Amino acid sequence: MAEPIEEEIQKEVRAHKILIYGKGTEQMPMCGFTRETMQFFDRYGYPYELIDVLSQPAKREALTKMTNWPTLPKVFIDGTFYGDTDILDPMATKGEIEPLLKKAFGK
Amino acid sequence: MLVITPDVLTDYILKSLPDAVVTVTDRTGTMDHLMVVIVSEGFQGKNLLDRHRMIYQALDTPMKDGRIHALELTARTRDEA
Repeated sequence: MAEPIEEEIQKEVRAHKILIYGKGTEQMPMCGFTRETMQFFDRYGYPYELIDVLSQPAKREALTKMTNWPTLPKVFIDGTFYGDTDILDPMATKGEIEPLLKKAFGK
Repeated sequence: MLVITPDVLTDYILKSLPDAVVTVTDRTGTMDHLMVVIVSEGFQGKNLLDRHRMIYQALDTPMKDGRIHALELTARTRDEA
């Protein structure tokens, strides 16, 4: 049986096609990398969800364990973990993001 | 503020990836936002997520004690470089 916090995370990951766990809010991102990640997805025009975990240390810790990834932001697309813009930027260069998002949003 | 030097950062990487060629660029002039490019054959057959996990593992100590604040990583093999 998974921990309640892990279940909550799994639920969030399923609920949002593009999900960013980051620092701050859409109106006020508290970290340059979170802002960069939002700008990355703004280019594609699909909706994304940003969940602030700066204020939720237990969730932040659980996420780190689940993904084996120590830093924020953490990006999930269609239920799969994709790290951060260090991973997404090279994928975009190779033209892999557009088809991934199209598929995720059923277009 | 506690910051790391490029030499110390490189040493941490070399402990895990002895063949690595490490290039550290200071994005802000204050060493608190670093761009690190690592070229190593140890990345062969590993996807980007796992390559970055290897680097984070190697830098676990200075990341946990706060000497590394913000890090942008590039990890590739010689052939990909």
